[in-house]
Amino acid sequence: MKTQPPVKKENQRTYLRFTLAQRVEHLVMLLSFAALALTGLPQKFATHPLSVSFIKLLGGIENLRAIHHTAATVMMLGTIYHIVVVGYKIFVERRRMTMLPALQDVKDAWFALLYNLGLRKSRPQMGRYTFEEKAEYWAFVWGTVVMGFTGFLMWNPITAAKFLPGEFIPAAKAAHGGEAVLAVLAIIVWHMYHVHIRRFNKAMWTGRLTEEEMLHEHPLELADIKAGLGDRPIDAATLRRRQRVYFPIAAALTIVMLFGVYGFVAAEETALTTIPPQEEQAAVFVPQTPTPIPTPIPSPTPTPKPPTPTPAADAAPSPPTWSGVIGPLLAQKCSACHSGATPAGGLDLSSYASALLGGANGPLFIAGDSANSLLILKFTSGSHPYASLLEEELALIMQWINAGAAE
Amino acid sequence: MKQRSKQSLGRWLRFLLGSAGLLFTTAALALLAGADLARAAPASLTALSGSNEQCLFCHKQPNMLLKVGDQQVLLTIDESAFLESAHGKAQAACADCHVDIKEFPHPDYSKSGLREFNFALYEATTPGCQNCHTEEAQNAMMGVHQQTLDAGNHNAAMCADCHNPHYAASAAEREEVPDVCARCHSELAATYKASVHGEALLAESNPDVPNCISCHDSHNISDPRTVEFRNNIPLLCARCHSDASIMDKYGISTNVLDTYVADYHGTTVTLFEQTSPGLATNKPVCTDCHGIHDISKTDDPQTGIRLKENLLVRCQRCHPDATANFPDAWMSHYDASPEKYPLVYYVNLFYKFFIPAVIGGMLVFVISDIIRRIVDRVKGGAHA
Repeated sequence: MKTQPPVKKENQRTYLRFTLAQRVEHLVMLLSFAALALTGLPQKFATHPLSVSFIKLLGGIENLRAIHHTAATVMMLGTIYHIVVVGYKIFVERRRMTMLPALQDVKDAWFALLYNLGLRKSRPQMGRYTFEEKAEYWAFVWGTVVMGFTGFLMWNPITAAKFLPGEFIPAAKAAHGGEAVLAVLAIIVWHMYHVHIRRFNKAMWTGRLTEEEMLHEHPLELADIKAGLGDRPIDAATLRRRQRVYFPIAAALTIVMLFGVYGFVAAEETALTTIPPQEEQAAVFVPQTPTPIPTPIPSPTPTPKPPTPTPAADAAPSPPTWSGVIGPLLAQKCSACHSGATPAGGLDLSSYASALLGGANGPLFIAGDSANSLLILKFTSGSHPYASLLEEELALIMQWINAGAAE
Repeated sequence: MKQRSKQSLGRWLRFLLGSAGLLFTTAALALLAGADLARAAPASLTALSGSNEQCLFCHKQPNMLLKVGDQQVLLTIDESAFLESAHGKAQAACADCHVDIKEFPHPDYSKSGLREFNFALYEATTPGCQNCHTEEAQNAMMGVHQQTLDAGNHNAAMCADCHNPHYAASAAEREEVPDVCARCHSELAATYKASVHGEALLAESNPDVPNCISCHDSHNISDPRTVEFRNNIPLLCARCHSDASIMDKYGISTNVLDTYVADYHGTTVTLFEQTSPGLATNKPVCTDCHGIHDISKTDDPQTGIRLKENLLVRCQRCHPDATANFPDAWMSHYDASPEKYPLVYYVNLFYKFFIPAVIGGMLVFVISDIIRRIVDRVKGGAHA
């Protein structure tokens, strides 16, 4: 927007097109846009293998999102800066609003197309900003508004859903993705062609255009400059007066907008940062029985109960004898080990006579004294390995010993 | 001495003849073995021949209880029931599994409690299991139960906790599996049985619903508390839920995985699963909204999350500040259409035309400009 007195350089006049501040601003927007595109498209096409590889490269989707959010914040700050600067140019410097679209731009575009198609003799002559540049600028403005609004909804869905129907959030996501594709394609097709391919325009880096470039691309602006019709300098007093009005307003506006950005970034803690709680804080190990398996099964064939002696009535009439009860019982329970050529522990229970001999640890029983009999002690103390007698069996044996251990 | 040996031989003979169903050859072998061992074995340890009959001589005694700690273990074997079991029919010998029991008295297993006794038994018999059930045993060795056992928690399931080695005719049937798991996981099993899957399994033996092992596997049971398991849950559910041959019968959408993946939650989880399966994400997987063992129908009047109030409760578990509008931010596994989520549908439709229109318009200018410049250059025009 600024035109300064032409400068002589290498036999050719050059004209300042972009100030250093504008070039830096462009660089910031370029970097944040590129970062947004590079981290945004893999989110839109998240299942594509290329996206997955790229996300992996950046250390995961959470990193990617953090970069995206940071770049978005940079772009929002850049936008605020731009608004303040444009306001200064309009309200303080009272520059001509050369970026505003006008009917002439439609005509220029139409004539350019006709020229390209060979239906007009000459290219339309354009001023400081051509219709191509205006289209790009206003597309960027439109895109920033759409992306900002939809981005807010996605970044702060809970806050958004307090004011808007919930459906706006997936809709915002759809629009954000659609707009992103549009913006990236537009940059590739429109910007790349006009600035880098048609003629490599370095003005955004060097800040200057040569007279020849000016003649080609901005002939009307060049003519204005030559005719002295550029922006007129403002006298210092007027400038200061306007600044005194603008600066407080701009400062207040900036603070409000910065608050907006802060709200954008920090409006809500959308979700828990931890893994969501399980639906049931269920106890995992809750055994049904004290110990599951092997479950003691009920004895498959109940022991044929030996005649249960009732101490008072039966003791006297018929005390058990070896040949009647005890011998067969021990044969069934014990003879697997306590018989044969080398009976375990030297105890042979195969006959009354051998049982009387006892084993390596001494006599098996003391007739009449079951309490001190080895046989009973072994079982009541539980010191007999891998063998057991039922309580009623033990009782029967005790009864037999106490009654004299008859054959 | 000679007389005594003759006597004992006689007793052995009587015992052997008395054993029902004993073949002559076996008898002869056992006789030889018995006679042989009688000479060789030390007095305190009696070597065993390894025949089931010899084991059963003691172990078929009813109520043969061994005290372990303050509990008891039943050492009795029901011979007839054993013969009906898978192992019995396969004519497995006791010693095929009880590979460590070669003599009497038997090795002394831990007696601090029944569980420790069982663990000692498990350690002793596992080589026996592995001999025949190699693959299953290998898988089980990688499973969470073995990991837990290795970590010193002997409450974790060992082979025989699920498979009764003496009496099971086969592995548990589909419908029986929840009861097997319930032996240790009774609360989870009860929850499952009341779920839409569990009810259908038990009430109608529905072949399409999962039982415990459909999701958890039977031997190579992976720890469901791991991040890997969690990140894989969408694909786990999708094994059935994107299969039209199962879902069509019930009118259930098979689009659930795709719609989930297309959404913010699913995209994130999928990316985690693909880029860093071991890294936890707080984004929900299927079970976070639908429940784990208590999965109910979405239109269940009590708990169904098709009801917005129920869904909101689910949302609020991760988004505590969510309000009534919020559940609509999730498209409930629908693709946007004029009926469902029309705003999303029309936004998509808009860009479907807007993008080609804008870019197409740009291309018209760009391409025509390129052509014109080429033509100009060829003609030697000044404004190349």
